[in-house]
Amino acid sequence: MNPSDKILVIGSGIAGMEASLMLSKAGKKVYLVERLPLIGGNVIKTGESFPNMDCSTCLVAPIQQLILQDKNITVLTVSKVEKVIGKAGNFGVSLTKKARYVNIAACLGCGMCYPVCPVSQPNFWEQGLVEKKAIYVECAGSLPNVPVIDPSLCLRLNGSEECNLCAETCIFGAIDFSEKDELLEENFAAIIVATGFSTLDARIIKNLGYGKFAGVYTAYEIERLLASNGPTEGVIKMRDGERIPEKIAIIHCAGRKEVGYCSNVCCSYPSRYAHFLTEKVPGVKIFDIYGDLCFPDKAYQKLNYETRKEKAEYLFSADLEKLEISEESDKLKIKYPDAGNQHKELLVDMAILAVAITPPAGLEDLTELLEIERDKYGFVKAETGSVNTTRDGIYVAGCATGPRDIQSSVLQSEAAVGQILRFLQD
Amino acid sequence: MSDKIGIYVCECGPNISGRVDIDRIIAEISNLEEFSDKELIVKPHKLLCSVGGKAFLEEEIKNNELTHLVCAACSPRDHDTTFINVCKKTQLNPYMYTIVNIREQCAWIIPDKEKATDKAIQYIRGGIDRVLYQEPLFEKQLESNPDVLIIGGGMAGLTAALVLAGKSRNVYLIEKTSILGGKAALFSEFLPHQSDIADLKNKIKEVENNQYIRIFRNTELEKIVGFLGNFEIVLKQNQTGDTTDLLAGAVILANGYELMDARELDNFKYTDADNVFTGLEIEEMLTSQGKITLRSGEKPRSAALIHCVGRKEAGYCSQVCCNYLLKTAGYLLKQVPGIEIIDLHQDLCQPHTEDQAYFESFKEKGMQFCRVQEVALDGNKIEYVNMAGEKKEIAPDMVIIAPAMKATASNEALSALTSIDLHETGFFQEAHIKINPVSTKTDGIFIAGASRGPCDISEAMIQAQAAGGKILTQLIPGEKIIPEVKVSEILEAYCTGCKTCLDVCAYGAIYFDNERGISVVNEAICRGCGNCVGSCPSGALRSRHFTNLQLYQQVKEALR
Repeated sequence: MNPSDKILVIGSGIAGMEASLMLSKAGKKVYLVERLPLIGGNVIKTGESFPNMDCSTCLVAPIQQLILQDKNITVLTVSKVEKVIGKAGNFGVSLTKKARYVNIAACLGCGMCYPVCPVSQPNFWEQGLVEKKAIYVECAGSLPNVPVIDPSLCLRLNGSEECNLCAETCIFGAIDFSEKDELLEENFAAIIVATGFSTLDARIIKNLGYGKFAGVYTAYEIERLLASNGPTEGVIKMRDGERIPEKIAIIHCAGRKEVGYCSNVCCSYPSRYAHFLTEKVPGVKIFDIYGDLCFPDKAYQKLNYETRKEKAEYLFSADLEKLEISEESDKLKIKYPDAGNQHKELLVDMAILAVAITPPAGLEDLTELLEIERDKYGFVKAETGSVNTTRDGIYVAGCATGPRDIQSSVLQSEAAVGQILRFLQD
Repeated sequence: MSDKIGIYVCECGPNISGRVDIDRIIAEISNLEEFSDKELIVKPHKLLCSVGGKAFLEEEIKNNELTHLVCAACSPRDHDTTFINVCKKTQLNPYMYTIVNIREQCAWIIPDKEKATDKAIQYIRGGIDRVLYQEPLFEKQLESNPDVLIIGGGMAGLTAALVLAGKSRNVYLIEKTSILGGKAALFSEFLPHQSDIADLKNKIKEVENNQYIRIFRNTELEKIVGFLGNFEIVLKQNQTGDTTDLLAGAVILANGYELMDARELDNFKYTDADNVFTGLEIEEMLTSQGKITLRSGEKPRSAALIHCVGRKEAGYCSQVCCNYLLKTAGYLLKQVPGIEIIDLHQDLCQPHTEDQAYFESFKEKGMQFCRVQEVALDGNKIEYVNMAGEKKEIAPDMVIIAPAMKATASNEALSALTSIDLHETGFFQEAHIKINPVSTKTDGIFIAGASRGPCDISEAMIQAQAAGGKILTQLIPGEKIIPEVKVSEILEAYCTGCKTCLDVCAYGAIYFDNERGISVVNEAICRGCGNCVGSCPSGALRSRHFTNLQLYQQVKEALR
């Protein structure tokens, strides 16, 4: 096939999916490459999303379905870009499609295979809040709804035992231990990098006690606790699985100093959390300790006003960098300078850190093999007002260029499609 | 031809078969008395959506010459499209098929197997009676015009024009004033960390020299009717009143913003004689006279920057002011060494990664930053309350304010002409705030730049490219447009001409035929939402594929 009809999209979050669907609509063939076994990106981790509190799954699942059913889109999960040669209009790309050990066409996603698996491992997609088996889906409702086997942990695949439990349970004969990693060579006219983001490892923010005190949570842990398909099925409980928090503090700008920029999406978290926490935990008292509030859209500030009026007490701190969390019996003590720079203390059961957005894991390697530049913060470098990277024919969309919300990520992916179709037309 | 109804019950592996009694469903549905005059073919299948399942269904439809098809399976969200695509490979019109959800609505939610089976049988009966009243529908193909009308010659409009214009697509760019470039043309400099924005003058030249872009200066939109691929447009020249008729397939509204007049606020009192300037006025002053001075022509020795002017009243943060006030501070520090500057803000909004470092650089230059709860201005006298609750007064030589960005009056005019909704803030309303931000509820009409909400130049450019991308995807030269077929229709004999439907139609798809005194649905614009059907007091409106009769039969059978 003529490479001018084929586009490579790296990353299947909201930006990658939107770009793929648009390109397909324009009659292009798309290879959508995802390193994880599921598509959907970070949006599907959030139970509900700002500002209209859409259920994220309800918002994204139809898009995921369209992607999986689209004849123009080849979805490669557990896959990786290895090598890129050539130039705009005709890139030669090598891709590894890792073995899933489960036949996607035969598997129905009935879920009978995981309970029998004898090996457990932490589920980092669920922020390490639960464990998963060596054969797993990351969460209920993963799409494609097909498990994957971790070959380093599976007793049979790592050679420690002749275990066959999952294969014996599967009535569709979908388990295939003989599957091998595949190397694919394809040609593409253009490439979109849409690899999303990670969050700062909160343990490095010394004064906030994350990892040391059980009551301190990151925002993404809370996302999963609030989500109906999360580890607690949406029930809010502390790490001991028993206690229900009565007082919760949300701390803004966690790690802002460490990364050197404002992550611009976190100010919306408290409104969302307050909305659902007050619903799920009757009588809960929520405090919101902030320095600056950043609401870059016409519709965002209103919800913040409503939250302040009804659901949370906003406490301004003149210097958030001086905020300190310590433990006092089973409570957390938060010490911070207030508006007049006076020392204040607050006792709570739970502290939620709105942790800074950082470049996604693996972006450094990817940018090196794509030969595109990163900015001083480690995100993909793009010109102002542009989605072009430093290499012709390679475009970037979403949080790979810096922290941004769903709307802004979608805008960039639509812009990248605009540039690609413009380029292919000439 | 007699009715021949195929009913296929998917086991979905153990998902359905484990929790409802498939054998009983087959037995009971095969022997339903109320359908005894019809030929029913009832069969189970292990997995209808699988490759084998789809082939099985295709063979069944063809070999049995089915006239109707019912798939008792999962949620239509999962596999409605799958089964419609199977129908499309056969003689069966896809609108003669229906899906019945016996997985999510029966098997998965009712623990008692017998009760789940009872409910599944009821639902399938409803499905059979519905499908019997369905009618075949046929897609239409319409010719489409690939050309694009862009309203507004600012950064968004110019950027979109350059993405779209080409050999097979003309762009008509209309600008209300005589000058291209919009507000950005007033700027003396761009932000230092955005200085790589292509030279605006070159961009304008590029647009002017592009043979596929036709520019209409001093021109506004007079009239627009039509739908994606086929808009009939009338433009009007402001000065001469001359009109021009055009055809275009899509429209981008990129008509920009204006600044709130701070003097409308209770706590901002000043006159043209005072040394109070908006950030934009400083830019204009620099562009015209090359330096910043007081009204007297003297250099200011002290200045105050006031952020968030009118933010509370507007109800949103304008998100660009923090940066541009710093930019004006930069001009002042360069021109008047030693000048004392105080920056009064409520919040600092620095949404781009580089913004914070830019801000830090001013802290290092000794600028004083003060967060305030309240601020009032009377001439050049400023009274403010800081976060600790202390009241302070200052009277700097010069005051530079950042009033909220607001929608222009043309948003309202364009909303009336195009029936695109306005958000409560007066900016245009996007189709979906998150996942469809440059589209509107009307296919073919897009929004970009500050008329859809406060944004900086870089974001306006991204939005313009996004709107361009949407159009390049949806309006491909030479390709036909296939409008929705499940739309509303009017039974003319019943329409009394009360016009209720015109008010409830959110898409502007219904117009009134004065000669015949009845409402008419433009099927190319109608999305089939059904609002008009519910509102019609005389029952003249009918929603294709969701007729009252179809729904009634389905409910009646399900409740039998």
